[in-house]
Amino acid sequence: MPKNPASHTPIEVGDGAAIPHKSDVGLFTAWRIAFFGAIFVSLFLAFGRPDPYFEIFKFVPDGILVTFKVTIGAILLATLLGLITGLGRISANRLVNGAASLYVEVVRGIPLLVQIFYIYYALGRFVKIPDMLSAIIAMAVCYGAYMGEVFRAGIQSIPKGQMEAALSLGMSRGQAMRQVILPQAFRVVLPPIGNEFIALLKDSSLVSILAVSDLLRRGREYASETFSYFETYTVIALIYLIMTLFFSKLISIMEERLNAGK
Amino acid sequence: MKLLRTLAATAALLATLSITAFAAPKSIKVATDATWPPMEMVDANKQIVGYDIDFLKAVAKEAGLAVEIKNTAWDGIFAGLDSGQYDAIISSVTITAERQAKYDFTEPYTSIGQILVVPKTDKTAKAIADLKGKKVGAQIGTTGAMEVKKVAGVELKTYDEIGLAFEDMAAGRISGVVCDEPVAAHFALQKKEYRDKFKIVGKSFTKEAYGIVVKKGNKDLVALLNKGIKAVKAKKLDTKIHAKWVK
Repeated sequence: MPKNPASHTPIEVGDGAAIPHKSDVGLFTAWRIAFFGAIFVSLFLAFGRPDPYFEIFKFVPDGILVTFKVTIGAILLATLLGLITGLGRISANRLVNGAASLYVEVVRGIPLLVQIFYIYYALGRFVKIPDMLSAIIAMAVCYGAYMGEVFRAGIQSIPKGQMEAALSLGMSRGQAMRQVILPQAFRVVLPPIGNEFIALLKDSSLVSILAVSDLLRRGREYASETFSYFETYTVIALIYLIMTLFFSKLISIMEERLNAGK
Repeated sequence: MKLLRTLAATAALLATLSITAFAAPKSIKVATDATWPPMEMVDANKQIVGYDIDFLKAVAKEAGLAVEIKNTAWDGIFAGLDSGQYDAIISSVTITAERQAKYDFTEPYTSIGQILVVPKTDKTAKAIADLKGKKVGAQIGTTGAMEVKKVAGVELKTYDEIGLAFEDMAAGRISGVVCDEPVAAHFALQKKEYRDKFKIVGKSFTKEAYGIVVKKGNKDLVALLNKGIKAVKAKKLDTKIHAKWVK
């Protein structure tokens, strides 16, 4: 189990999702080349070789919608689960703390793909939940554990003196947490949550094994009937790339605004 | 003189060697997606078994071929043939015009049809069209999936393996599954987890034939396999294999 990091340490929960840095300006940054390059290649293929590329672009949009639904549904649920878990992990109550820690340990110890399979089909044995919701729950359970660690680290990054000061002003622990610690912690955890969002957007492609018609599944369906595997996966990769680059830019802008308002 | 004799002996030896080399059976790699019982599946001993496997072995024996079977996921099995990872596919592949446009097939070796499986609680469905507004599952890229797609108003859900579609139907997430008749019989009538839950609807509604798939233009291999298929049929070995696997 990871030991508590010293307070003040900036938290970093990276998994390789590239969020362009503020200092990364100029015309020919990696982000710009990748983003506009991907758009250019997409347009070039769609109009230069409409058969099969335009056909593929026409086939997959409802899959993009499903990918968004799964990602947004899962990130909301995972944030909620993460907040509860994060609070549980720093709770003085042994039972609550134990339960939250157990959840994190178990989930982090199992590959995401296995968990998605397991939650989807295990859930189906006991309760009747529609496929899309099951997929969202499966993703959220996995990411909730990661987010729990983000929240825990975020809360612990707020200097202890703040809590002590709030308590000495006569606030209860809960009041101090809600009114003093969490609002500050939230600002700290927003960038890592953005990171998790992008990671989740990419990992949402795993739900295609659950027969959820997301972007990857739609692509596979197209390829399986036309046998244009190379062309289809080129398009799918381009669309994912454009989406993740778009959102990473959005998050970096959000981050800048947040820092500006400090 | 001695030298000449040695040379002659060497030449003779080389000739014998090359003859044996030519006589050794040509070896081919064949892909199958062993998640399609009873046609191809992995048994308790992790061996790939089934109708297609026995049939392929019989054909190979008749054609003088040595075969190595490769278990390959169905989604992408044709791509593997394109990239030369194996020489042929025997995996309950229905001969269709679309597939024939890109690949070569042997003579058809057995006939089957698509059939619908629904939960026993469904008293009304007689065909896929009766499941309008509902979800029907099939394996990705199969003729079963194509049949469901044809029916307007029914939502097709595609699975990587047919077993996952049946499991999803057991969980109540889909209202029907369409697949090859022998596979439907295996899941709905024989598998003990499912036989009390599912039923087969009517008779099969398509007429299809399986063929062995090879890369476009691989005429030698098609000819060899066809020769084998012909011999197997002449000896009625296929009826025996059918009786062994399809109940």
